[in-house]
Amino acid sequence: MEEQELVVRMEKISKVYPNGIAANRDVDFSVKKGEIHALIGENGAGKSTLMKILFGLEQPTDGNIYLNGEKVTLASPLVAISKGIGMVHQHFMLVPSLTVAENIVLGMAPKKSGIFIDNKEAVRLTREYSEKYNLHVDPDARVADIAVGMKQKVEILKALVRGARVLILDEPTAVLTTQETGELFQELKNLKEKGFTIIFISHKLKEIKELTDRITIMRSGLSVGVYETDSISEQEISRLMVGRDVVLKVSKTESVPAETVLTVNDLHYINEWDKKTLNGVSFAVRSGEIVGIAGVEGNGQRELVDILFGLKLPASGDARVSGQSLIGLPQARIRHLGVSYVPEDRMTFGVAQTASIQENVISDRYSRKEFNNGPLFNMKSLHKESDKLIVDYAVLCKSRSQEVGMLSGGNIQKVVVAREFSSDPILIIADQPTRGIDVGATELIRKRLVELARAGCAVLLVSADLNEVMELSDSLIVMYNGRIAGYFDDGKWDDVMMGEYMLGLKSQSDEEIRRACHA
Amino acid sequence: MRDRRMILFGLVRGAAAIAVALAVGAIFIFLSSKEPFTALRYLLIGPFLSFHGGEIAFNTQNFYQVLAAMIPTIFTGLAVCVMFSANQFNLAAEGCVLVGAFTGSLVGIYVNMVTGLHAVVCVLIAAAVCGLIMLIPSLLKVKLGASEMVTSLMLNFVLLYVVLHFLNYHFADRSKGATMTFPFLESSKIPSLVPGNSKLTWGFVIALIVAVVVWFFMYRTRWGYAIRMIGINESFSLYSGMNVGGTIVLSSVFGGVLAGMGGSIEVLGRFNTFQWRELPGYGWTGITIAILAKNNPAAVPLAAFFLAYLNKGCQLMATHSDVPSEMIDIIQATIFLFFAAEQFMSGFRQKLVVKTTREELKKMESVNVLEEESGHASTTV
Repeated sequence: MEEQELVVRMEKISKVYPNGIAANRDVDFSVKKGEIHALIGENGAGKSTLMKILFGLEQPTDGNIYLNGEKVTLASPLVAISKGIGMVHQHFMLVPSLTVAENIVLGMAPKKSGIFIDNKEAVRLTREYSEKYNLHVDPDARVADIAVGMKQKVEILKALVRGARVLILDEPTAVLTTQETGELFQELKNLKEKGFTIIFISHKLKEIKELTDRITIMRSGLSVGVYETDSISEQEISRLMVGRDVVLKVSKTESVPAETVLTVNDLHYINEWDKKTLNGVSFAVRSGEIVGIAGVEGNGQRELVDILFGLKLPASGDARVSGQSLIGLPQARIRHLGVSYVPEDRMTFGVAQTASIQENVISDRYSRKEFNNGPLFNMKSLHKESDKLIVDYAVLCKSRSQEVGMLSGGNIQKVVVAREFSSDPILIIADQPTRGIDVGATELIRKRLVELARAGCAVLLVSADLNEVMELSDSLIVMYNGRIAGYFDDGKWDDVMMGEYMLGLKSQSDEEIRRACHA
Repeated sequence: MRDRRMILFGLVRGAAAIAVALAVGAIFIFLSSKEPFTALRYLLIGPFLSFHGGEIAFNTQNFYQVLAAMIPTIFTGLAVCVMFSANQFNLAAEGCVLVGAFTGSLVGIYVNMVTGLHAVVCVLIAAAVCGLIMLIPSLLKVKLGASEMVTSLMLNFVLLYVVLHFLNYHFADRSKGATMTFPFLESSKIPSLVPGNSKLTWGFVIALIVAVVVWFFMYRTRWGYAIRMIGINESFSLYSGMNVGGTIVLSSVFGGVLAGMGGSIEVLGRFNTFQWRELPGYGWTGITIAILAKNNPAAVPLAAFFLAYLNKGCQLMATHSDVPSEMIDIIQATIFLFFAAEQFMSGFRQKLVVKTTREELKKMESVNVLEEESGHASTTV
């Protein structure tokens, strides 16, 4: 292996986005010729940014890129493609109304007498490549009519036809069924034997162990290590991927759960690719307790939370707060029932970036009587409210009129949390409440969550940070593949055990899982 | 640190856009004119100074004309501000000015009322009609998802031909050579603010008052707040529990009301009969003004003044030198281009952001090091 040349070498890559987020910090990344190299990390760890830089979609703020030892500037995807880099995006970049062959030659179509597209030649080209690389597709089928796994093959062929020698696959299995995944792996191994180099982005450990030769693990914009896949265990990978250097201990008293606040009953959800992402989930959350939901991302947590806050409609099943069904309610009504929500995507849902801190903390209560004098805002009481929240939640800022987008990630999240925690909720849904933020803010948010639960609030905590759910939860649900794989209420859990349930190595009996409903 | 840098950046960027635009204008003047300095003098200072035989004096009438020209554009600028604030690219302010002018005129011709009240009623009815018209594009957007840009743009022409139909076949004064209505009743006319023929009417004062009212509406009421939040981030507003659809409709209707007021005040102040036979263009100017004002109603009068001043300067330049008045289109277009171009000076901005982020990261790291040194790395909360 040592003598193999490096096809890709990225040296000290840094990327600061215009909103000030440092997505990559001095990242070194290299790939050997003819290997399958996994790039693994949580959402927001910076792996997509790094690959976008390699594919010319983003320009690095700093750092150098070498392809086959030669220093290059990848100003655009066109340049990257001409240098033999191909990328298969998670969301396919295909034209549904065109045929497979037309999609494959799009932008480089063979021409008849220089004007008309030579369809026969396009079909021939597609056939040739599909046979050569054992990627079987029907050149004449419309893309709109073919299955997801087939679309992926088309994407790979598209890259190969354009002369790619290095293929970047961005979470290719996220949309595939088990059979399709198996097929894809066979094809990728095939390509590897033919001398292609593959970069495989994923956070599914089993797949990575099965498929790849080496692994680069990323966390919060940094590369935390490069390993031979055989030399590292799944546990070790998961520790490096999600582990925190600082384990925060939160002291909390024994929970005294009272009446049931949230009941979720047999929720099913089918996503846009006809994949069942929620498959009969039932549980309950009682006032005074924190129920944690652990699981590797993409196992149904997203859909569950979106349904609970009215952002998605389930295929079947029900969710009730204090007896009132949440399904189909507008957000105003859901909030009126006493539900608060700390969204995972805080920049999209949590804040209005160019608005002030004050404008952000009042967004759920601005029309209340106490903040209005007839038609006009009562500025005095608005100022008082926002100043109080800024102090209570230790938001580090110059004043209440500072733009939220100018704050650091941790302080932005404090603004979100200040609003959501202060509306006298009876149920708080906290989705990744401390992801990607600094230690101080993390401490504060966790402490407040525990305080609220002990004061009688019901808390549903969804987090990919295993330490966080294990530390904060009074009882714990592990989700795997759209189902509850395990329910624990004895407080006796550790990361090894969780890992086994999270990765689908183990699962509890239906009876044990039913205990989550407290019925 | 970050805040101050970004505000400073905004100011520098705005000034740079205007400077570049004037420089581009100057290049064209120097290329096309035999007397570039005379042309530039009229363009830049002509609107308030006059030069007679070497004597320089303040030219009141020219200056009043500049102010008078601001009346309709303040209204349309405010209308566009309100709609753009909700992130609605609604272009029907143009058509609403026309309809507002027409309905205001009809009330001014056919309804008998006492002086004072009459003009007010004309303007209010025009405003109400235009508010209702704006229900069309906004309800289509909210209920059916039809792009408000397309529907409002087309609506302008529908409105134009509806107005022309009524003007030609129902309300034209047949005794006149050109197509126009009967004259407005004296009681409906907006009185002049200053002596002379400048057409600077009380409409100017009303426009300024309305600008203040709109500012209060946008920044001091719950409806304006909802409009702005929806404009900044619709997902956030929905998630916060705001009535997104209703607020979008509200912003469009309010935009229509303002444009309708502008149209009626303009005709009742400036003319004796209604005789517009094409779209007046104030709605388009309103878009430029809203962009210059960054959707802030308080800045609308300033932006309107700037454009009216440039316009007058160009007129004078065309009259007194060999440069054609079309020069204003070049200058306006350049300003517009640089203001609207997100990427203008974005390299400079990116450098500022990178610098600030680096500083913050360094500060955070040093704080962390301090914490670790004092043994707080594993904190118990």
